[in-house]
Amino acid sequence: MTIFLDILLCLGVVLTQATLSTFLSAKGIQPDLCFVLACVIGFLSGEYKGLMVGLIVGLFQDLLAPGGIGLNMILKGLAGALAGITTHTISTVTGPAVLLVTFALSLGCGLASLVVAYPVVDGLVLFYAFSSVLLPQGLYNSVLAFGAFWLINKIGLSMGMVDLGRGRR
Amino acid sequence: MSTGVRRILGITFILFLMLLLFLPRQSQEWLSHVGGPFARILEVPLRSVASMQDSISDIWSHYIALQNVWEENRHLRQEIQRLQGEQNLLREQTIIATQFQKLLAYQETAPMTTLPARIIGRNVSNWYRAMIINKGGRDGIHPEMGVVTEAGVVGRVVRVNPTTAIVLLLSDPNVAITGMIQNTRDEGIVQGTPQGTIHMKYLPPLSPVQQGDPVVTSGLTGDFPRGLQIGRIQQVTKADTDLFQLGDIDPIVDFSKLEGVLVITSFQASLPESLPERAIAPSP
Repeated sequence: MTIFLDILLCLGVVLTQATLSTFLSAKGIQPDLCFVLACVIGFLSGEYKGLMVGLIVGLFQDLLAPGGIGLNMILKGLAGALAGITTHTISTVTGPAVLLVTFALSLGCGLASLVVAYPVVDGLVLFYAFSSVLLPQGLYNSVLAFGAFWLINKIGLSMGMVDLGRGRR
Repeated sequence: MSTGVRRILGITFILFLMLLLFLPRQSQEWLSHVGGPFARILEVPLRSVASMQDSISDIWSHYIALQNVWEENRHLRQEIQRLQGEQNLLREQTIIATQFQKLLAYQETAPMTTLPARIIGRNVSNWYRAMIINKGGRDGIHPEMGVVTEAGVVGRVVRVNPTTAIVLLLSDPNVAITGMIQNTRDEGIVQGTPQGTIHMKYLPPLSPVQQGDPVVTSGLTGDFPRGLQIGRIQQVTKADTDLFQLGDIDPIVDFSKLEGVLVITSFQASLPESLPERAIAPSP
């Protein structure tokens, strides 16, 4: 049952990304909601769930993106898993930790996407990508991940449902 | 006063009243003059009572009316909101219908077979400039097919799902088509850049291309027929070390406002048969 819910969640996020990206974009930069989802799930539920949700949402994203199938799947899966692994290394996952880790992961995933997406990656392209896409997108993603983590954490704790701060091992 | 006197007085009063009825008109006027001041005195409380009655009935009726007006106002506001919603919907439908009418009119006259499609999604990442259309493999769409509007070239189909297809826009660096400066007939490669602008590369170094020159497809690649509008030359640059000139193109299609497109499914690549013979005959 949980897997179906996860698939539905991934589908919803990908569809939101595909249809509302214009409204979500700030100065031409849109957040990668699929990446944010993978990271947040990783932080909240551990590396296995992060990996699984990342793989599913990445696959859906690949199906609607012009690039080859597999890139987003691998990157989002890795991001979810790494976010989950972070919960092992930090005693309690706090908001700032989510912010920093998501930003770093976003830069890494963005760089990998850049190398695959652009036919020629020279110094100029790299500079443009870093200053105009990678950094703003990283900030946007990390702020969204922080917001989602904080909100879910707060709701979860207030309802006494889960101890979201430490993740599931 | 005795009973007899009272009776006499009563009869006299009745007789007086009867006399008044039969008196000539002049006498009645005289009497009305005499009674005028009394009538005025009576008017004051009468008017007051009447005005009070009026105000009470006014207040009552206005209160009731206000109640009705308030109800009516609420209904009217709801009606206005509903009508505004309907109006917006109709306006939106009209705009979409107009756009599709233009597309369909172009489809009928264009020298190629096209399939109209609607845009149902846009970029799913910041690394590609793409859109998703509502026609796919089941509708006969294949990768590498050209996508246009009545204004000009939009991009190229890169992936086909059964019911949808992904179109990479001309402003994406992964799209390159052969273009031609319409005035000078110089050819080059039109390609997008990471910044989202469009360049025309490999323009001959001696080409007299100028700002504002229209750029069209040259028809040398398989997915676009010759002569479709791409845009206009915005600026031409050539560094000393470069072999070719580089033109910046201002695209004729506003990619951000697209709602419907035409996918080119087939076209005749050869010159039209109606071309006059002297135009294709070798010069003497």
